[in-house]
Amino acid sequence: MIISYKVKLAFTSWILVTASLTFSQTTKLQEEKELEVVNFSSIQKVLKKDGLSQSAELKKKQVSVMKTEQQNLDKARYNYPTEDELWGMATDYWLIKNAQLLGWDFEKPDYGIEGSFKGVLENLGFYQKKFKILLINTSAIVRAGFPGADGEIIFLLSLPFIRSLDLSKLEISLLLLEDYLRYEAGYFKKAVRTEKLGKLAGTSFYGEKNVDLSLVEELVKNYSTQVERKGFNFQQQFETTKKMDTFLKSHPELWNVYYRLIGKIQNFLKSNHQYKDYIKLYPSPEMQLKWLSPEEKAL
Amino acid sequence: MFLLLLMSLASWAETMPTDEKVVGIFYMTPLFGHVHQSSSRTSASLTTVQCAHPIKVIESSKVLVAPEWAYVHVADYKGFILKSFLSEKRPNCFQGKYPKFFDSLNLDLAELYYWGRLYDHFLQGETRVH
Repeated sequence: MIISYKVKLAFTSWILVTASLTFSQTTKLQEEKELEVVNFSSIQKVLKKDGLSQSAELKKKQVSVMKTEQQNLDKARYNYPTEDELWGMATDYWLIKNAQLLGWDFEKPDYGIEGSFKGVLENLGFYQKKFKILLINTSAIVRAGFPGADGEIIFLLSLPFIRSLDLSKLEISLLLLEDYLRYEAGYFKKAVRTEKLGKLAGTSFYGEKNVDLSLVEELVKNYSTQVERKGFNFQQQFETTKKMDTFLKSHPELWNVYYRLIGKIQNFLKSNHQYKDYIKLYPSPEMQLKWLSPEEKAL
Repeated sequence: MFLLLLMSLASWAETMPTDEKVVGIFYMTPLFGHVHQSSSRTSASLTTVQCAHPIKVIESSKVLVAPEWAYVHVADYKGFILKSFLSEKRPNCFQGKYPKFFDSLNLDLAELYYWGRLYDHFLQGETRVH
């Protein structure tokens, strides 16, 4: 009985040893295994003569390089995206998290806005610019310009707002152009950017317990604050309006449409309390008209 | 006699194999996308596919497809995907480049659905090279 038990124990331990050896081998590279098969020390002289020891050295180096590459690939899986990639991802993420509030998942007619805006940009000399426009079915947020992936700009535009104002394609394009200039001036990124973004973007969290998701959460929270409450200040609005003035001056027909558009918005906001926050976020059409008006010269 | 001929023709058409042919295998380029029931951006979604998912593009004389759409076969579904979302080469996807980071977002099913829908709703443009 004892003998049979011992035999069983020995057999089990043999299986365990064999299994652990097999397991340890599976984690090794094929090239490493090949190196182990040959016992070079016993035939060292012959090998030296044949130059085989050199080839073994070369193989060793190759294995070491491959191992390092494999480790680098494993580590890369734990990287944070680069700053540019994070901006694009954060914009998409914010749009998804706020899908119900923004109401962008609805059927809308083809207004041809993208073609019209493209024409205006080209007309003014803005070449190789990629953009996306998302029409939203809410009056809670009227407009915004966000960073997208690969240098794109993503515009948000309220369909109820443009319908209430009965805006033409050209007028909508000029609204988008304003948002484009604001975005290019870097106001949005400056307002939303967090310390963590600069610190963590493009780095690795390899060896750390968890990914620091507050990087995205803080950014997305700032998006909401900027779009819903903070908006742009008078100085930024002044600079944007002056830029519009400069760009459109050489196209009087566009300048006139823009000037009338600001007047239209000013009148509309006076009688529509639904959009009372607009003036806080984009101060203010009244001032914009003053900035655009030619200065009166004293005689 | 004519009726008989018509009936036999109809039954022959039903038993005939479909004339579907595979155009090629393409890859999904946006982060997420939908296989649509019809060739319309707002049509119902049959299934959601991830970036780099292989998509079999098919052709059939029985299915009319708008020029900007592709008729596709994905898993058990036959539907439509915007051609601009497909690439002949396997794309370098965000979730492939940063798998651990992306997984940690823990997106739920509704978020995956909306992420795919988002790209359907974007009106895209690019100004020409000077």
